[in-house]
Amino acid sequence: MYVKYTLNDLRRNRGVNSSLLVVLVLSAFLMASGAMVMERTLGSVNALFDQAKPPHFLQMHKGAYDEAALDAFATAHPEIDSWLIEDMVGYDSAAIAWVRPGTTESGTLSASLIDNLFVTQNTAFDFLLDADSTMAYPADGETFVPVAYQQRFGLQAGDELRIRTDVGIEDFVIGGFVRDSQMASSLSSATRFLVSNADFERLRTTGGSSEIIVEYRLADPAQTSNFQAAYESDQSLPKNGQAVTGDMIRIINAISDGLVAIALMFVSLLLISIALLNVRFVIRGTLQDEVHQIGAMKAIGLPNSTISGLYLSKYSAMTLIACVIGGGLAVIASQALTSGMQASYATAPVTALTFLAPIAALVLVFLVVIAICRRVLRIINRIEVVSALVHGSTLNEHQTARRAKRLARRVRRSAFASYGGGDLGRRISLVDLRTEVGQWMLLPLVFMLAVVLITLPTNLLTTFQSPKFVTYMGAPESDLRIDLQFSDDLEQVREEAETALATDSRLAQVRRFANELVETRGIEGWESMRVEVGDYSGDTIQYLRGGPPSTGEIALSVLNADRFGVDVDEAFTVRRDGSEMPLTVSGIYQDITSGGQTAKMSGDATGVVTGYIYYATTSAGQDPTAIATNYGDQFPAMTVVPMGEYVSQTLSYVTNAFFNAAVLAIVFAIGVAALITTLNLTLRIAREKRRSGILSALGFSGSELAAQLRFKAILAVVIGTVLGVVVAATLGEALVGAAISLAGLGISSLAFIPNPLLVYVAYPLLLIAVGTISAVAVSSRLRRGDTSAWLRA
Amino acid sequence: MTLSEAPTTSPALVTTALEKSYHSTEPPTRVLNGIDLAVRQGEFLAVMGASGSGKSTLLYCISGMDRPTAGNVRLGDLDLTELSDRDMSRTRLTKMGFIFQQAYFLSNFNLRDNILLPALKAQPKERAEVEARVDAMLQRFGIAHVADHGITQVSGGQLQRASICRALATKPAVLFADEPTGALNSSMTLDVLDALTGVHRDGTTIMMVTHDPACAARADRVVYLRDGLLVDELDLGTWHQADTSRRDGELLSWLRDHDF
Repeated sequence: MYVKYTLNDLRRNRGVNSSLLVVLVLSAFLMASGAMVMERTLGSVNALFDQAKPPHFLQMHKGAYDEAALDAFATAHPEIDSWLIEDMVGYDSAAIAWVRPGTTESGTLSASLIDNLFVTQNTAFDFLLDADSTMAYPADGETFVPVAYQQRFGLQAGDELRIRTDVGIEDFVIGGFVRDSQMASSLSSATRFLVSNADFERLRTTGGSSEIIVEYRLADPAQTSNFQAAYESDQSLPKNGQAVTGDMIRIINAISDGLVAIALMFVSLLLISIALLNVRFVIRGTLQDEVHQIGAMKAIGLPNSTISGLYLSKYSAMTLIACVIGGGLAVIASQALTSGMQASYATAPVTALTFLAPIAALVLVFLVVIAICRRVLRIINRIEVVSALVHGSTLNEHQTARRAKRLARRVRRSAFASYGGGDLGRRISLVDLRTEVGQWMLLPLVFMLAVVLITLPTNLLTTFQSPKFVTYMGAPESDLRIDLQFSDDLEQVREEAETALATDSRLAQVRRFANELVETRGIEGWESMRVEVGDYSGDTIQYLRGGPPSTGEIALSVLNADRFGVDVDEAFTVRRDGSEMPLTVSGIYQDITSGGQTAKMSGDATGVVTGYIYYATTSAGQDPTAIATNYGDQFPAMTVVPMGEYVSQTLSYVTNAFFNAAVLAIVFAIGVAALITTLNLTLRIAREKRRSGILSALGFSGSELAAQLRFKAILAVVIGTVLGVVVAATLGEALVGAAISLAGLGISSLAFIPNPLLVYVAYPLLLIAVGTISAVAVSSRLRRGDTSAWLRA
Repeated sequence: MTLSEAPTTSPALVTTALEKSYHSTEPPTRVLNGIDLAVRQGEFLAVMGASGSGKSTLLYCISGMDRPTAGNVRLGDLDLTELSDRDMSRTRLTKMGFIFQQAYFLSNFNLRDNILLPALKAQPKERAEVEARVDAMLQRFGIAHVADHGITQVSGGQLQRASICRALATKPAVLFADEPTGALNSSMTLDVLDALTGVHRDGTTIMMVTHDPACAARADRVVYLRDGLLVDELDLGTWHQADTSRRDGELLSWLRDHDF
């Protein structure tokens, strides 16, 4: 009986059922896709880590170092499983060009801001793997290029790579592409090219900057933080570059790709909310429409559970179909979504979790939808036979009386009391909306959610893309960022550069900050900490709490303040040049650079300086890009970039993920808004047949009836959209802020930097337009209406 | 005899070869088979016939609530079958009034607002005049005391009298009534019939569909519909209280001839 009823009903109410099915399919699809992308991402990263064996701790360093001290340290620490020193030669992106033989296609890598490091294949661990996940060994004259560059510049095997060295051009043939477990994530500030031993030795002597990475694998990776503390407390070891732990590598990799999965999950959660609202609305409407049948079934003695079962079987069947279709689509979509990821990392092995993750997500969707259906279907228990058969009402006597009393109170005052001869149709519509507010709730709710759905990813995108985002990167707002990394002639280059900057009339203001290594007391004793030392007077960076450091003070990043358990006005001791300095914490700021662990002091650097950063503001009318190019040419050792470019490149992977999420959200929001508006208004027309018949008989034309429906729909859409904008700007910001804070990136309080024109004007207008078009399309059916049929309904 | 030739004064409403078929059934159902009918200015015409004879369809086609398949309908100088939806609606608003078997009212408005609605739509600029007219009618039909009540708070008879008020509020040329007493008990039926008779006396043309001989006996003329065709008519003349039993007898005997 259940199957027969379900099939008949699905056939009879094809329009309503198919719209509902589409929303359910989309919800199931997104939920399953999110789960699959998440599982594949983690699987890919883990698979790459298994094969490539990245270090558990690494320390970058430029310039001279004491190799004997490293040997002694290794001997003294039996927890080290193996260790190595990797020699690298760095070349500026502008010095590397590519050419496709036999064609006119060519280009340079100058758009890339990250360091290009040429290395040879390691022998013990930290391997660079090719497309087959095997260790790549380039022949002489051949190079293996990072997968990230392959994707970004469209490089192919067989292309030529030309490096401009001090003695001329070095030509390489691209033999393939390598996946780099350590530097795969684009949050990484460097990337590695693989060359043969002979080529490496030649490159080392023909220019380029020499760097090393000291890498360790530990017998027990859980001991990494103790090991790091031990390394950092040893003064004789090289450490003027970044120190990175394996966990950080893993987290950064997972976060940058996991964002796509999180975005998908977010979109699917909103869609499920919409689907549930819709299911509730459709079930209530169906019960109202079929109240006579329900009354008859009750009258012949069918128990409530059997009647509910009839309806539940239909919605269970629909949800099941939706989950199957959604799951099938998710398999296809997630393959497309993870193909880029699998190229950067490794093909994730298929495990039980590969199947269980999406199935669990689909089961969750199914159970939630069915739970809501069961809840709504409880109405059937309350339906009374006489009310249903005689009055066609789902309400019992008590409820009917209460409703009549409420309505009587409401209509006592004339609806035309303040009518001054305007549009009568609108007046009637407003009265309808006021008295039937419950039945018109779905549209505003859906549009509110749709606005939130569209706005949040876009707000995140514009926030991370905004030049003002530097305030979350522990940097002042400025037009140019000049980075002078450690080199043997650092001080000489600095002096020359500062002279040039000071006399440059195109620059209004230049601030210099030195990267100094100081020590501070951690859990395991003294450990190194990077401090940016310089002039913090005036309005430089934004502080979450407190203010800029003056003499005797230090400002800490959020993650450092958490790590050391200190807050504003509390004491904090550092060791600088061997002597302890008691300081007070002046302020706490947000910073996502250097793993979020930075600090700021005012004055001049007195200890070990590993580099300098300058922030310059240009004079009015000056082009930061032109100035950047100019200085880049003049001082090859410096990385000079316009601030916007710095933010966008550093965060390119994150912003790409947000961009994809934003596009996806817009497509889904528009689709769902159109679908639900159509479905809702179609049902309203069916439900308002009697009303339409009465008004038509009284002399309202089909166009006027259509205009009334349009007016009500558009008003509901506008109210929902406006509410959505308010919710997205207030609650949405708080929600996303909390999620970002939990991600441990170093941002604990995110304020959106929205594009007001886009999110407050264009998006709302777009949604209102979608609602309007749907309303116009559906309401036009009223023009062809049949008054006598409406009255007989 | 052609039934349409009956009027002696100028006709208010004329149908010529009116046909209506419904194509939603298989085979299509032909409900009206070519109706020629004329209703005189100020006449009270009753249409009778068995269930399914096409009485209500005739009324809906004449009033433009349903589109005839063929033939035409003239209201005064106006060919209704030529009108656009918009013009037909306007004509219904300003020249026609309706009373249905069920009281079709908007539940979101009180009784008085329901009555005011078409009149305000027809004369939006003359609100004071419209309200005065409606209030006078509420008094006349004895429902002024329930004017601000919701439609679920009044009796069926009061609702049907409110229907008459609403139908008259726009001062229509023709009043259509579709089984106006079908859902009422006998005392309420009498109330409504008295009200209709009063309206007719004021000069309003009425076309009423009914299967109740007591209602039809109030009409000046009764036509009989069978299988979508007008087959006979009975001229009863103007109704007077004193004449009731003669009219009833004449009508019942005529109906018996039609196996009613």
